[in-house]
Amino acid sequence: MILKVEHASFEYKRGKPLFSDVSMEIQSGEIVSILGPNGAGKTTLLRAIMGILSWKEGKSTLDGENIRDITPGKLWSKISYVPQSHGLSGSYTVLDSVLFGMTTQIGVFSTPNQEQIKKAESILERLQLSHLRDRKCNELSGGELQMTLIARAMASDPGIIILDEPESNLDFKNQIIVLDTLSQLSAEGVGVLFNTHYPEHALRRAHKSLLLSHGSVIMGPTKEIITEKNIADAFGVKAIVGQFETESNQIENVIPLALLDKDAESVEVTNENGSENEDALASISIICREFEESGKINQILHEFPDILFGRMGMPHRKRNVYLITVNLDGPKSRIEELAHRLSLLKDVSIKVTYAKEEQR
Amino acid sequence: MNTKRSPLWKTAYILGLILLPVIAMLICLCIGRYFVSVPQVLSSIAARANGGEGVERLAYITVWNVRLPRLLLAFIVGAALSCAGLLFQSLFQNPLATPDTLGVAGGASFGAVLSILLGFSMIIMQLVSFTFGCVAVLLTMLAAKGKTTSMNTIVLSGIMMGSLFSALVSLVKFCADQEQQLPSITYWLMGSLQSATYTSLLIGLIPIAVSVVILFLLRWRLNLLLLSEEEAVSSGSNIKALRLLAILCATAATASSISMCGQIGWVGLIVPHMCRMMLGNDHRYLIPASISLGGTFLILVDTLARSATAAEIPISILTAIIGAPFFLFLMRKKGGWSL
Repeated sequence: MILKVEHASFEYKRGKPLFSDVSMEIQSGEIVSILGPNGAGKTTLLRAIMGILSWKEGKSTLDGENIRDITPGKLWSKISYVPQSHGLSGSYTVLDSVLFGMTTQIGVFSTPNQEQIKKAESILERLQLSHLRDRKCNELSGGELQMTLIARAMASDPGIIILDEPESNLDFKNQIIVLDTLSQLSAEGVGVLFNTHYPEHALRRAHKSLLLSHGSVIMGPTKEIITEKNIADAFGVKAIVGQFETESNQIENVIPLALLDKDAESVEVTNENGSENEDALASISIICREFEESGKINQILHEFPDILFGRMGMPHRKRNVYLITVNLDGPKSRIEELAHRLSLLKDVSIKVTYAKEEQR
Repeated sequence: MNTKRSPLWKTAYILGLILLPVIAMLICLCIGRYFVSVPQVLSSIAARANGGEGVERLAYITVWNVRLPRLLLAFIVGAALSCAGLLFQSLFQNPLATPDTLGVAGGASFGAVLSILLGFSMIIMQLVSFTFGCVAVLLTMLAAKGKTTSMNTIVLSGIMMGSLFSALVSLVKFCADQEQQLPSITYWLMGSLQSATYTSLLIGLIPIAVSVVILFLLRWRLNLLLLSEEEAVSSGSNIKALRLLAILCATAATASSISMCGQIGWVGLIVPHMCRMMLGNDHRYLIPASISLGGTFLILVDTLARSATAAEIPISILTAIIGAPFFLFLMRKKGGWSL
């Protein structure tokens, strides 16, 4: 399944476009994040993408068909929407809420049958919400409510799930629970499109990202979008994008430092890795805890034939792990993109080692 | 309601909802200025097939010609008004909504008093009243239709349309003959189930039965009315059509009720709230409960209205006097509810 937006623009007031010439796409199994400052129109963008709001120009298509031409029943059985959780009516039980997600499968004059109730229960079980089955939604904690809404979105077995700030207002633990669920869905082949206030969440989870900034929209691989320069442009904040190294992985992080001077004509951000487009020599070591994941690793490696010049893989059957080393020669940005893609896989540890620069 | 509904609970619930109005009706058939005992009531009912042979004539006539049509009317109107009130509260997500919110009562009253002024027969009056009730809601919907139709706009339009029609009612009263027409208009406006006949019942029953059956079948889907706009849209159901259908059904049921027995206040507000306090917000339970409890409530109140004193008390006075304290008692005991 592929959801596409082609050269679309949106305006609330005539002649004052909120954003124009938006193009983006999301496919099954992909995680795409939308970032942008408060008021940039992230929620509006989501609503317009799904057709709840109308584009001024351009269109959204699902598998090539204009969303406007798809009947609501068909459209909403293929994509699901998880709105922001605050301000929602909470007078139904968790189980009832999940059943609302199956509205398209339940006849207009029918009530949910045993099979549908069983299915809703199995979704709750999968997300470890079974104990909340008969609780009212307005008695839940923020994290529990968010997970309930995700369960509801999953109920129609959609190809794409669209979420509006799913991890806002949640504590660390619940953020991880929500983000892990999104990663899990993507691993199962569901496309996940979400708004977020946290660039580091995008970096750690999203394959591609879209940044809204002053009415313009840029989209690309997350690693290319979330750069110090782009953050400075969009948010007016000086931030550092860097990596934490842990024993098993390198973790992407974004740390906001200070406001930038508004009057400054152009934003100058010193980029420590200013040599992004210079060629570099590197090797990535990958340790994969599940044999199944190695197929996905191969898939990703096949997308980078231009920089890959050598690889070696070895299973270590005793501990059921797979060790891979790949050797790379090419633009540093490409190498980083590959490393980022690999880092999004579950149960995979990666580390990149660059060769020392040649003495000139 | 946090508790899981057990199969036993469900059986008891269904049985209770069916038995409640039946028992109430049986008891109320006995009560009145002329007392009929329960065995007499039962044998009168059983003797219907052979035209009442072997039963005391007075009891037979009292049961079949006087009390039964009136009790049936009470049940039907109570059920219709409760369902309509329930629906409007959900539709507008507003606990203060009543069957009258969209101006249907104003329209139907105007139709009825106009018919009295023009001297139409009872049956014609019923039809004119029903038609004007529907016209009032149609006008409300047209007035509210604009670039952005929000539920608040519809409610405001309804209030405006209601006051417009009540002004027209006053105008008719002003024009009416003070000796005969004005008293009968005033009496009609207070609401009474006295005029019940099988013919008027049959005519009035059709729109109510159709509406209530549709609402009963829609009972699960009606839950979507309480969701936020984007949740409702993204559920994939045609929420606009659902809302329109709900408004149509509630309007037809209310207009038909008012056309039969005038304005009976409070039932449409109190009974749905009582149901919500006891059952939560699930329309799967609320619709049947509103039908049963609304009908039973009006059966009891009407019996009291006709038998408590020598002269009949207008029913709207009693619905409020009985309903309001009971409602407050329930609200304090249950700690209110949220829509």
